[in-house]
Amino acid sequence: MSKVVEISPTTRHEGHSKLVLKVNDAGIIETGNWCSITPVRGVEKLAVGKTPEQVPKIASRVCGICPIAHCLAATEAMEASIKVEIPKDAKLLRHILQLANRLHSHALHNILTLPDMYLPGTDVKINPFSPEEPVRSVAKRIQRLREIGQTIGQIAGGEAIHPSNPKVGGMYENCSEQARTKMYDLAKEGLVLAHQQAEFMIAVLRNYQKRDWVDVGGMKVALPKDLGYHDQGYLATHPFYGSSSMDENPTWDIRRFKEVRPWDWYMGEMEVTLEEPKYPVGGTTKLGTKVNPQMEACTGIPMYDGQPVEVGPRARLVTYRNFDEKGTIGQQIARQMEFQDCLYEMIDCIDELNPKGKVCADYIPNGDGTLGWASNEAPRGTDVHLAKVKDWKVQYFSMLVPTTWNFATCSAALKGAPWQLAEVIMRGYDPCVSCATHMIVVDEDHKIVAQKLIQQ
Amino acid sequence: MLYPEIVIAGCGNPLFADDGYGPAVIEELQKLTLPDNVKVVDAGLGGPHFIFTMLDPEVTKKLVIVDIADYGAEPGSITKLRVEDLPPGSYRDAHSWDLAEPLQRIKDKIDVTIIGCQPARVTDPEMEIGLSDEVSKAIPKTVRIVLETIGVDYGTAI
Repeated sequence: MSKVVEISPTTRHEGHSKLVLKVNDAGIIETGNWCSITPVRGVEKLAVGKTPEQVPKIASRVCGICPIAHCLAATEAMEASIKVEIPKDAKLLRHILQLANRLHSHALHNILTLPDMYLPGTDVKINPFSPEEPVRSVAKRIQRLREIGQTIGQIAGGEAIHPSNPKVGGMYENCSEQARTKMYDLAKEGLVLAHQQAEFMIAVLRNYQKRDWVDVGGMKVALPKDLGYHDQGYLATHPFYGSSSMDENPTWDIRRFKEVRPWDWYMGEMEVTLEEPKYPVGGTTKLGTKVNPQMEACTGIPMYDGQPVEVGPRARLVTYRNFDEKGTIGQQIARQMEFQDCLYEMIDCIDELNPKGKVCADYIPNGDGTLGWASNEAPRGTDVHLAKVKDWKVQYFSMLVPTTWNFATCSAALKGAPWQLAEVIMRGYDPCVSCATHMIVVDEDHKIVAQKLIQQ
Repeated sequence: MLYPEIVIAGCGNPLFADDGYGPAVIEELQKLTLPDNVKVVDAGLGGPHFIFTMLDPEVTKKLVIVDIADYGAEPGSITKLRVEDLPPGSYRDAHSWDLAEPLQRIKDKIDVTIIGCQPARVTDPEMEIGLSDEVSKAIPKTVRIVLETIGVDYGTAI
């Protein structure tokens, strides 16, 4: 008889989500639902009536890890609506910023992945914070790659977290000759490290794939050879950057897109009938707890050609590089393969960039209310923004973020796997489940201490 | 080097009313000319991934975090907190470093000060732009406290 187990919250990714799994007697997932439980409401509403300059700033605040992708997609959706072509050097700076962000993000994801993996030839899981070799030098390399990504992003984008340089019509500033040389030097250093890092990660991932079992909180779990396989399609709009409705041959088609509500797709109300206190960290949800993915899921289910699709590194490699490996490990390997691509492309863009070139269009129209869209291949997948701008006011704005595409696809990929490995499958998608607020809530005891510290 | 000796990070999300306090203070600080060893960053929600885990203790000696804090005071009141005063999980990164707090890991190597302001209104999950009057009024004072914390005397204008 089927049992229901819930892992909430899921860990080692951005935001809040949970997994509700219906499993058979052997613990194999029959139906898996992965859903976002982060409510974010009102970006669309908030954008209406604002200027096209303000909306990309608003969009970039929706997430704490991919502000760059959202800023670029929103800026370009505005440009697509008002139909402004940006100068070549502005485009190159945006490409460099985009790739710098991807480099940082993939390196960060390595740290989230490694604790699931084993040191080749041993039964020891990798602790990326271990002071011992060989892990220590890997951790240092990851940090350096992140630092290189962030520094290049800061030069091209103005600021490394919330980029200040992109604007509707191009960029505020080009970079100096000196800054261009610095980006070039950093990218060349990064390329060597990226090769080493990708090789290391691929070796570790292949080693995992060859194992017969893995340990999860002291439970020995058989590792299926088809971990994370699914038969959904893939969607990617560019090998590294994106597309827009202004392109001669746009690679995304709004007519092939539709969004359905979670209750058409997720399971209804159930009760947790399987609890595992040993599951890290802190055990699964208590027996008897009521769960209702249909009602709790906070996102819609986007479909392309009537089906949920996978977006992200593998989707890009399948679409543009004839990559064909399925499953979680295939997906992770695709991500590592993007490391070098990312730096080769960045070096090409830096080579081509003319620091004396113009970076803003001469004429920026006010818009006539045409629907424009722009996609951005964020580290974790296709991020599509849609906008209508009329008389320099935004009339309509919508965001289709990468992980929303992946929720239903990953849910399908969970089927057939032992429930203990559901999070490993989910982490393969490098989920970014939107963000909420940050507020320090000082507890009762500390309130007294804090009160004393109030400054007059 | 990405981050210099002194880093001032404004944390929070301007899409949720008073949660935008950190970035708003940063906007004011960016108007000032500060010494070369100081970097002022609008961290938004990215503090843990982009700053706290990327500081090099050989270079960075001081981190000042500006954020809202609910500590039961009047809205707009400002407090200075140390990492020890923070309840566990305050800056736990969901993209977590081993589920530990990045600030706990760096506090012995880098001097960390948190400047917290009591919010009047945080609208999460509904989005709303704009600080309450109480919190807006706290900004000039916060700028003064930040400058004092990093030992910069900006004269009588502020």
